[in-house]
Amino acid sequence: MNYEEEIDIGAEVDLVVSAYPVEDDVLEEELLAADQTTQQYQEVQIPEVVKKFILYFHRNVLENNVNELHSIYEGSFNKLTEKFYAKESWPDPEAISPLVNDDQVFLTLYRELYYRHIYSRLTPTIEHRFHSYENYCDLFNYILNSEGPVNLELPNQWLWDIIDEFIYQFQSFSNYRNRLKNKTEEELALLRDNSQIWSCYSVLNVLYSLIQKSRITEQLLVSKNGGDMLEAAGEYGSRPLYKMLGYFSIVGLLRVHCLLGDFTLALKMMDNIELNKKQALFARVTACHVTTYYYVGFAYMMLRRYADAIKAFSHILVFINRTKQYHTRSYQHDQINKKADQMYALLAMCVTLCPTRLDENIHSQLREKYAEQSNKLSRPDEAIQVFEELFQFACPKFISPNGPNFDDPEVLNRAPFEPIQHYTKIFSSDVQHSILLPTLRSYLKLYSTMGNAKLASFLDIDPQQLRTLLMVAKIRSRQTKWVEGTLLEGELQSTSDLDFCLKEDMIHVSESKVGRRYGDWFLRNINKFQDILGGLELTANTA
Amino acid sequence: MARISNTPSNRPEVIQLLIDGVDRYNPDNVSILEEYLASQCTNRECDAMANLAILKLYQFNNHLINDQVVNNILVKALTTLPEPDFNLCLYMLSEQMANEEAVMRLVKLQDLLEQCRYADFWKTYESDDYFKELTAEVLGFEDSIRANIANAVSMSFQSIEVPNLSSYLNLKDAALSEFIKAQGWTESSNTVTIPVNKDNEAKTTVLVENIKFE
Repeated sequence: MNYEEEIDIGAEVDLVVSAYPVEDDVLEEELLAADQTTQQYQEVQIPEVVKKFILYFHRNVLENNVNELHSIYEGSFNKLTEKFYAKESWPDPEAISPLVNDDQVFLTLYRELYYRHIYSRLTPTIEHRFHSYENYCDLFNYILNSEGPVNLELPNQWLWDIIDEFIYQFQSFSNYRNRLKNKTEEELALLRDNSQIWSCYSVLNVLYSLIQKSRITEQLLVSKNGGDMLEAAGEYGSRPLYKMLGYFSIVGLLRVHCLLGDFTLALKMMDNIELNKKQALFARVTACHVTTYYYVGFAYMMLRRYADAIKAFSHILVFINRTKQYHTRSYQHDQINKKADQMYALLAMCVTLCPTRLDENIHSQLREKYAEQSNKLSRPDEAIQVFEELFQFACPKFISPNGPNFDDPEVLNRAPFEPIQHYTKIFSSDVQHSILLPTLRSYLKLYSTMGNAKLASFLDIDPQQLRTLLMVAKIRSRQTKWVEGTLLEGELQSTSDLDFCLKEDMIHVSESKVGRRYGDWFLRNINKFQDILGGLELTANTA
Repeated sequence: MARISNTPSNRPEVIQLLIDGVDRYNPDNVSILEEYLASQCTNRECDAMANLAILKLYQFNNHLINDQVVNNILVKALTTLPEPDFNLCLYMLSEQMANEEAVMRLVKLQDLLEQCRYADFWKTYESDDYFKELTAEVLGFEDSIRANIANAVSMSFQSIEVPNLSSYLNLKDAALSEFIKAQGWTESSNTVTIPVNKDNEAKTTVLVENIKFE
């Protein structure tokens, strides 16, 4: 029932290693030179280094040099940000426009980076939000509605970040829009008159259009079942830009549906993507990989399929642990760590609700980070509060699809609707039903038969209540578990190693024991023995 | 018990296409889905994905919200317990909708059912005609609930006293005996024996590691 499954992620680790960008030595020298001229740096002027960078960047975009672009995007851009723009925005797009001959396509891409930087380092104003939205519209319009596929190629990391950031800004705007209290008249007017900006429908429209244009669904089906890939892909889909944007949009939709509370639809999006496949496309970009598993695991958790959620979280946490050393140098290091922490929290909750053996490393990390909370989760009087805390820490930032109703005269006085509170309430009342189960389990483990009345007195409840509790325990121990097919499919299986039945007033308990595992012990000792032998031979030779 | 994971075998083609594609976002299609819900209510089936699609349209288009439809969807979700359908529907409701009187009453019923407090469930259900009104459009509501309760009982018990069973099912004497016979259980003196099935037999198993030498 609970064999530890081999989590084979060798292929995925290789992808991360090979994707690590090369150091840019030329830029290092230029930055050193720039250091010496900092006294002459005036606020209005763009530093020479930055100007050169933009020209170099522009040239590579025109020439579709994906490899160079990758190191520019991951390395140089971030170094220059750290150096010059850690606390202010990059030069205005209008300012650099003469440098690139007013190339609108490049400027759109530049603006994408410009606004993304503002969102991450500074606080965007309402104008920034609106303009960034319009910029995304320009970008997607260019990609989707030009005559024929565009002749542009960008590194996968950037393509993923475009989709990721697009959804992030949508989420940020939805939350911003909901809080009306401290807004100026002007801001309120802008919000009231522009309800189509960052609307739900337009975001979904973009993602679905990218999927349709790239015919990624057909391509995935062909790669699963065989067939003519070129024909399935069509004119647009055979170009890497479209194919990857389409693919990332699927993961994007998985995320958006979770944010809107539609967990079954979220999992349905992944119908054509096989999670356990080697060399899956989502593994090419680590952030995409982590995001996919996080949302799949979370959706399973909301569907009460805790066993499947645990599997998903374990898989990705093992991956993150093994590739730790490659992440420290990437600027996404913080993001990935934060997601990992959230997943440990979710894992702690799932394991309480559905006790399962975990992989050793994961288990020790979990104990390290959440020992106190894990203990409290099993205690009936403290559990609910900890569940709520962990849930609110680890859940996605849910949004409500519609903004405040400006036609309502009372709208400014109402407390904003916070979806996260709504979801926490539902989750919490669901979990409430399982509160006594850990204590019940611990008693059942001790006996093979016990009278109903006796157990009831141990638990301090009356026999009728105990009978209902036992039925709850029985029902909760049977879950739908994924066996094969799409993510939503599954079979009802038992997920507990403890089983019982009631014969009138006697409870008969049985436990499924795991036989002594000797394989691992032998392997470890054989290795140790070989080491000792090797050491002995060495000393024998040198003596 | 309908499961979200398994497609109901009698989902019409037109609904399948609707759910799978982008047409599900078109507000004009809400009436097709609502009609399908009405047919589910009369022929005692349940198609959770289609009903969630209705709630999604309501989520995006507040002007389409039809309280009666929402109620029926929730009542239908009650009949498929222990599937998580009811909670999934709740997640899709806005806070305003969730605070409606009808919804809160149904949440109360769900709470009792999830905790297997069946005796209390029937007491609450019978205590107020409001509940019967709420569930009126969903035919066979009580039967479906009883079927779920019977399932839970047969998973946990090998034998159970008649008074207990009677309180769980809200059936007495003749009606109870009929139900027992229909389930294939046997009644004798004051206890009902449930045949051993894979869920209610407590068997000790030992999992042994299987190592092959090659």
